[in-house]
Amino acid sequence: MLITRWDPKLALSKYPYFFDRRFDSCLESNEDTLIPDFAPVVDIEEKDKQYVVTVELPGVKKDDVKIDLKDNVLTISGEKKMVRKIDEKNFHQSERIFGSFQRCFRLPELVDQQQISAEFKDGILNIAIPKSVAIQPKTIEIKVK
Amino acid sequence: MSIVRWSPRGSWLDLRNEFDRMFDSIFNPRYEEETSLSAFNPAVDIIEEDKAYQIHVELPGLNKDDIKLSVKDNYLSISGEKKRESKIEDKNYQRTERIFGSFQRNFRLSDSVEADKIEAEFKEGILNIVVPKKKESLAKQIEVKVK
Repeated sequence: MLITRWDPKLALSKYPYFFDRRFDSCLESNEDTLIPDFAPVVDIEEKDKQYVVTVELPGVKKDDVKIDLKDNVLTISGEKKMVRKIDEKNFHQSERIFGSFQRCFRLPELVDQQQISAEFKDGILNIAIPKSVAIQPKTIEIKVK
Repeated sequence: MSIVRWSPRGSWLDLRNEFDRMFDSIFNPRYEEETSLSAFNPAVDIIEEDKAYQIHVELPGLNKDDIKLSVKDNYLSISGEKKRESKIEDKNYQRTERIFGSFQRNFRLSDSVEADKIEAEFKEGILNIVVPKKKESLAKQIEVKVK
């Protein structure tokens, strides 16, 4: 491996630290993107061997969530449905938002796309995206003579 | 309207609430203690049905044991703490939109509900509270006879 000069512009385009902003990736990946009713909050955490994407989806059924990977853009979409149709006049307070949702994130190039896994529990969607072996940290022992 | 939301940060546009609050804080100091300054304020729906009120609170990622529900002096109080799953250094985060911390929401109950028979269930990140109405306050059907 060569040691090359650090170019901030190049870093922006290549480096995995810069996940895209809210809807940018959605617009670039599917031309027919509809504007969703809401955007669930997301945490993205980098670990040694994987990225973990955590999405808050309280009250959403597992079957109503869709995870899609196309052109290196991870799309989480779906619909949050009311348990049953409730007449508007019966609401004393309505703070929760229902309807369609979508979030898109451009993945760093060096991830193992085949090994992406997801789990949904207690209203939290956890997506594990393993880094490709090439970017996993290596420990090199230095021997002092 | 029987269940009225008690808002610690009421809108200034809602002058009546603001005045109520001012007087409450003068005559009822406990009112002030309930003020939640937490950034995490879970969303709540309250739906009136024939026999009960349904309260739905969004609490994704919480454990059943992290939620406390109590009734005191005609106030239904939902409180607890949303904890991170694991202690993680900030530098590992690419994006942090989720909010953690303690929370409290209070709702004044009317006299027409049975406070002793409130039931709650926690499932898929949603806390469902059922507040049954008293029998005597249930809607009655009166047949109108036309002569």
